[in-house]
Amino acid sequence: MLELVPKPQFSVVIPPKTLQEGYLVHFDSDWPSTHEAIREKTFRIDAVNQVPYDLPYILPTGAVGTLYRDVDFSNGSGAFQESLYPENLSSLFEVLVGFKPGNYISHWYVPAGKSIHNLEYAQMYPDLTNVKRRYLGARQPKDSPYEDPRIKLYFVKDLAPIIMRLYVLAGVDFEKIVVGLTINKCQMRIIEAPTEEQKLKAKVIRYFEYLRW
Amino acid sequence: MPSQVVTAHTTAQTIAAERENAVVQAKSLTIDNQVGAGDCEITIQDSFTPSAYVGVPAPGAQLIERFKAVVQAADIITWGEEDLKGIKCLGALLVDSDVIKATCVITVGYEHE
Repeated sequence: MLELVPKPQFSVVIPPKTLQEGYLVHFDSDWPSTHEAIREKTFRIDAVNQVPYDLPYILPTGAVGTLYRDVDFSNGSGAFQESLYPENLSSLFEVLVGFKPGNYISHWYVPAGKSIHNLEYAQMYPDLTNVKRRYLGARQPKDSPYEDPRIKLYFVKDLAPIIMRLYVLAGVDFEKIVVGLTINKCQMRIIEAPTEEQKLKAKVIRYFEYLRW
Repeated sequence: MPSQVVTAHTTAQTIAAERENAVVQAKSLTIDNQVGAGDCEITIQDSFTPSAYVGVPAPGAQLIERFKAVVQAADIITWGEEDLKGIKCLGALLVDSDVIKATCVITVGYEHE
């Protein structure tokens, strides 16, 4: 048997998951004046460096909703601070977050105490002490697997603290939570007068408040 | 798959050390009690210290039993991967016995996952 395999009529190119050298980013006008250095500006990525980092925690079950661990990504020496924010104005950290399997969920707050997953009806906000609403807005390990992370965060210098609240579900005594991070360190160079084409091509990075309208 | 052989002892023996970013999964277990008199009750223990969490900055160390079996004198039992599927240690995997018996040989295969 001899078979000549025909040429494929098309091929699919999957773009990289993270920002690459030469990519453009734009910070829109939603950014507050405290971020004047980047607000409404366009940058070219000059260099990238991916830094993997695992954050492991063993926590007891939080059956009554009051036992949990906050992971604060901002910089500092606080007990729950992980110091993953940039210190330079010209740095952008793009962070992929994945979870190893386990009996736990995560809730997200920016800044502390302000959930980004409220609904519009009164009291429809994530609440670990409520048996129903503890699942409102909860991200489970399967939503962003360790091997194929789907949660992406963008950190710039002096960004308000982003908090990930980890909570072990009932039914196990303890659980080991492994949060796999890939921190894509991006060095940015400002484009003083971006062309319309550059503006269109640039990835727009919005301020977190846009999630709460 | 790494494995380790120990003999039955009343002092818990470490089979697999804790690895911070992985759990220890028991993959195979053989308890060979064919030689000598007396049964052996063998326990797999999980030893770890939880992380700090809200309101508890320094939780105490934990020692939790994950598996227990009695192997009668003159007997040998093997558990495979399917049988041990749910036996997961968050910290170090230890093996303990209710008696000291140098002729009761325990072989544990495991993986960090």
